[in-house]
Amino acid sequence: MGGYGEVQMIDENGVRADGRGPGDIRPITIETGVVPVADGSCRMTWGTNEAIVAVYGPMEAHPRKIQRQDRAVLDVAYNMAPFSTTDRMRPGFNRRSREVSKVTQDALESVVLLELYPRSKIRISIEIVSAEAGTRCVGLTAASVALADAGIPMTDLVVSVASGKINDVVVCDLNKEEDNYGEADLPMGIMPNSGELVFLQMDGDLSQDEFKQAWKYNMDAAQEIHKLMVEALNGGDSQ
Amino acid sequence: MTIPIVPKLLRSHLSDLAERDARIDGRGRWEGRELEVQHSILPRAEGSARVRMGDTIVLAGVKFQIMTPYPDRPNQGGLMCSAEVRPVAGRNWESGPPSPESIELGRVVDRGIRESGCIDVDSLCIIPGEKAWQVILDLFAISDDGNLFDAFALAGIVALRNATVPAERFEVGEDYQLSVSKTPIMCSYHRVGGRFVFDATAREELGGDERIHITLGDDNNVHSLQKGLKGIFSADEFTEIMDNAIERTEKLRKIVDEL
Repeated sequence: MGGYGEVQMIDENGVRADGRGPGDIRPITIETGVVPVADGSCRMTWGTNEAIVAVYGPMEAHPRKIQRQDRAVLDVAYNMAPFSTTDRMRPGFNRRSREVSKVTQDALESVVLLELYPRSKIRISIEIVSAEAGTRCVGLTAASVALADAGIPMTDLVVSVASGKINDVVVCDLNKEEDNYGEADLPMGIMPNSGELVFLQMDGDLSQDEFKQAWKYNMDAAQEIHKLMVEALNGGDSQ
Repeated sequence: MTIPIVPKLLRSHLSDLAERDARIDGRGRWEGRELEVQHSILPRAEGSARVRMGDTIVLAGVKFQIMTPYPDRPNQGGLMCSAEVRPVAGRNWESGPPSPESIELGRVVDRGIRESGCIDVDSLCIIPGEKAWQVILDLFAISDDGNLFDAFALAGIVALRNATVPAERFEVGEDYQLSVSKTPIMCSYHRVGGRFVFDATAREELGGDERIHITLGDDNNVHSLQKGLKGIFSADEFTEIMDNAIERTEKLRKIVDEL
């Protein structure tokens, strides 16, 4: 977290620079079937973030050493396209995207009914074509929609959303400036039907009370986003 | 890219269709798939385009960097073009370092754009010998149902034509539109069932043989050629393809100019 309150991003009435209130999320659209050659896919825009996710499989897992006799394995790759950021993102290996891929995989393996497909692999490609802030949340949420679009059985969808703190005020769904100059960031991956978590990260500085507020904002936002996901999966775009 | 097994049945089916002058998806031999072109669709790119041809979908994004001009060309900026086909675009594409296929894609598109001279590299100079713009065109496949070459080339030129040089962000003056003086267009032909067809799908590529890519400029000048994959073609066959390419690139150029 960066500037520690040097940039004023929220006024005394709780109105943020982009006009949102503290608990409001950015506009979201969700569309399925956007990669026609894939078994399932999803395009999600969230503010000026845009993720495209394709799911292939279940298919043969090779090399053989990655196979599991009793379940399927997920192969999750999160990647940012070179033109997704203000300064061009060099293609290729990068520690950040490896970590995001891993935590996203851990989250999705918690909801996919892997034991139904022994010895097979399900490939999930998350491509961020436009990045603002919170791309890991967009990627994970869109991936769960793409898995559902592919007809892969899951115990629940995953809604991922982050709350944080700007100028000592807890707010939901940080935008780019808030993420750069804010004081904390708490992304969570929530199963909307049970309220359980499959993904959790945090960095920054939050008091116990602030932490509880951020947690609540995420839980509330998850319900709102879940509706849009279900709408998109029931046919048609969501707005 | 994993090389999928080519079913003999597919090859013989494609030959049978060719004898009746038919194609697997009902198109005519020289008929392209339905085309959709959009530009300025990526908020973080200085220029962008999305091209859809049937079930093939690609994105192109233009970014700028400031470079030190090469010592032998102190008054020139640079153009770099690279293509990435990641596993998102199809089940046979694998992760890892760029495959020979995607490198070929990027290089063939690059040559067509570069050699047409559509971008005046002298105009990219900011301070001779010190600072110049490097234009970076990134081509990115979303869905590969064949003929990524034409989709990439078209998205590339459309993205460049709609690019803004971000001079303000780099504190070297005011933003201005990148000048693109020509419209090079690529047309690709695959040998399928023994004869060449335009705009092959993934199944036609799988069950087909060699391919030929032609990039033509505004006056039908030839700017890049590439023959790919194993196969032998005759001069007469090439003449037929070139005649078709002349006709087709004119139509496509009109579409691009009217965007």
